[in-house]
Amino acid sequence: MTAPPLKGIRVADFSWVWAGPYCTLQLAHLGAEVIRIETARRPCLTRMLPPWADQKIGLNRAGYFNQYNQGKRSMSLNLKHPAAVEVARRLIKKSDIVAHNFVRGVMERFGLGYEQIREFKPDVIMVALSGYGATGPLSSYISYGPAQVPLAGFSALTGYAGGPPMHTALSYADPNAGIHAAFAVLAALYHRRKTGQGQFLDLSLWECATALTVEGLMEKQMSHREPARRGNRDPWMAPHGVFRCRDLPEPIGGGVVDTWVSIAVANDDEWRRLCRAMAQAELGDDARFATAPARKRHEDELEAIITAWTSQRSPQEVTKILQEAGVAAFTCTANKDLAEDPHLNQRGFFVELEHPEIGARKHCGIPWRLSRNECRVQTPAPLLGQHTDEVLTGLLDYSAAEVTDMREAGALN
Amino acid sequence: MAGALAGLRIIEIGEMVSAPYAAKLMADVGADVIKIERPGLGDPARRRGPFVDDQPHPEKSGLFLYLNSNKLGVTLDIANARGFALLERLVQDADVLMHNLAPAEMDRIGLTFERLSKVNPKLVMTSITPFGLDGPHRDYHATNLTLWCAGGACYLNGSPEHPDKPPLAAFGQQAYYQGGAHAAVATMGALLGGLNDGVGQHVEVSVQETVASILEMTFAFWPYIGMIASRLGQKPIQPLDVMECKDGYIFICCIEEHQWHSFVDVMGHPQWAGEEIFQDRLKRAAHWDALRPLLQEWVGEQRVHELYTKALHRKIPFAPVSTMGDLLSAEHLKARGFFVEIAHPEAGTYRYPGAPTKYSVTPWEIRHAAPLLGQHNREVFGERLGLSDAELADLRKSGVI
Repeated sequence: MTAPPLKGIRVADFSWVWAGPYCTLQLAHLGAEVIRIETARRPCLTRMLPPWADQKIGLNRAGYFNQYNQGKRSMSLNLKHPAAVEVARRLIKKSDIVAHNFVRGVMERFGLGYEQIREFKPDVIMVALSGYGATGPLSSYISYGPAQVPLAGFSALTGYAGGPPMHTALSYADPNAGIHAAFAVLAALYHRRKTGQGQFLDLSLWECATALTVEGLMEKQMSHREPARRGNRDPWMAPHGVFRCRDLPEPIGGGVVDTWVSIAVANDDEWRRLCRAMAQAELGDDARFATAPARKRHEDELEAIITAWTSQRSPQEVTKILQEAGVAAFTCTANKDLAEDPHLNQRGFFVELEHPEIGARKHCGIPWRLSRNECRVQTPAPLLGQHTDEVLTGLLDYSAAEVTDMREAGALN
Repeated sequence: MAGALAGLRIIEIGEMVSAPYAAKLMADVGADVIKIERPGLGDPARRRGPFVDDQPHPEKSGLFLYLNSNKLGVTLDIANARGFALLERLVQDADVLMHNLAPAEMDRIGLTFERLSKVNPKLVMTSITPFGLDGPHRDYHATNLTLWCAGGACYLNGSPEHPDKPPLAAFGQQAYYQGGAHAAVATMGALLGGLNDGVGQHVEVSVQETVASILEMTFAFWPYIGMIASRLGQKPIQPLDVMECKDGYIFICCIEEHQWHSFVDVMGHPQWAGEEIFQDRLKRAAHWDALRPLLQEWVGEQRVHELYTKALHRKIPFAPVSTMGDLLSAEHLKARGFFVEIAHPEAGTYRYPGAPTKYSVTPWEIRHAAPLLGQHNREVFGERLGLSDAELADLRKSGVI
């Protein structure tokens, strides 16, 4: 194995919450040194949302922050203070990439806008993620990932048949922007390796998410209608849904927990396999269900038959039976199922590193593997400001006395 | 100026969404992509639609046309020995082989990194598979829906008011888009690694793992406090919900406390807003069942665009629930030139989503429409590989291309 591909690349990461940090997480996974600029005066939102380890509230105990900042360093800077802005400038001079997800104008007010920093760092790559992007009539308005899900068209398309528009639960626009931003940074880095040229990358969460509703956008244009919400159903496949399984006793409250399994049948052969697996082979010859169009026409009856079978079983049992029969099925997985998934554990997907405040906790790791470059999460997410002194004296050549002065002046809050 | 990846050569053996999307991201910033499809049927996305006037036609599928613009298209049966030999010749000059064949299919064809890296030691081969290349679920059958469930995303979405209704998947093939976007990132990592020492490698992407990577704070609820995050439980903070106005739907969203205070101001300080149980975002989440009807009553009297505009000016991040028509006519997206018009000889001219990122120096651009099935067989096999017309005719006759 050789060193990770971005070893030696440094990222000055002014981003926060989820979209920007998800971008820089990918860069950290690839071996870049990512230094997050935080401020104790206004800590990252993800440090202030549950869950906190063992229900004890603390800025360093939040699962949300600790998941998406693995392998990064943190320094605390009060950018309202001129000395802190000078620190940021020195850091940028020694960095290859600058990331932020402020609305247009914020970095400029700090004197750290792209045009400003390229004067002292001409080949810098800056990536700016924002809800509305860096140009256009709405570009000075703030936005957040959760609101970008409905704005981008996901809510109009997601919902139960006949019901109102719904969310996707996740702030899907955030990680989606983050992963696309990471791609853009890497493409820009590739270009810089060949030409020495840096550039500015402007990413709008709205656009990035809207692209992934393309099937809806094309239906509107090609068939001249707004697509109907259809629950978990598919235009072609049937059955295609999430089916109720046997309830589980709920250990604490004494009630029951519902469990579910997803099943998707792509063709008539798979349908007959499903029938045999349910020990109802005769259904395979039933004209109501013999072809995909017929199954679509009788989908309510079809789903009732399948639910009658799945509801007697656990989702794991259904998955096992159907996978053996060659039918796509999988438990509708909760966080606990995921953490205990034998497959993911055997593959070494999870990362459990000792964290100074909360000990070792399970986090999701890197969702890809490179066969030659050794990419792995090296350190847990940083404490707020954990590396401030180290970066100032070790990397930016400040003396200990200067650091003390800056701290007393409030520049490092 | 050419795109950031100009000169990079990619061979795509991609069907449906994941590998085609990864290769599209790279093609749109300059990479030269040759897409290999099965002779006869081609990529199943051709049969998926949505279709022009709802008439299924392999050259008129909106999904296929979006995912495959900027690519050259050839047909090649790589399960055939002569077909595989042609693949090896294409791979000789390529930087990347991007594919999403299932592991069992790779075994059957003999598509291995060992074999292809002998032909081209610089090659980066990216394998996007449902569950990865090892582990007990390696050969599990999967679709987008089962992977959205396997990655833990589906379980989180639904309606607490309707516990009888199932967990609800997000619209579209989002598990596969995430598989593709993450694969593009990992592939770029491998390519940058290759610039250091000129050696290729095998990149493996598990779609299940990419979905598990985007669960926000919900995964941590288990290892951090032993709690299962479910669609029926309370959200960490509120308000974050779709509500109905007089003339449509709006997303009510207050994340920071000052946003809530401004919203209370916009509502004219109703008396209930002063209640202790609504004093911070965590409490508003805990008492959402009490707060929601109070908000809905006020929101129900508003008009979407007026409330959205008012909120924007007060730095409250509300958003309208955009329809497809709203998106296609949105002034802001127009001003940014987001949608791009692409003319296709059979399907006609439509507007497609454009650049996910705007690059200040190297352009993102559509150079040409998606290929017709086998459109570039002659250009690729004839001109690039130097096969004669007679050889091409023979390959066609024997079903290899």
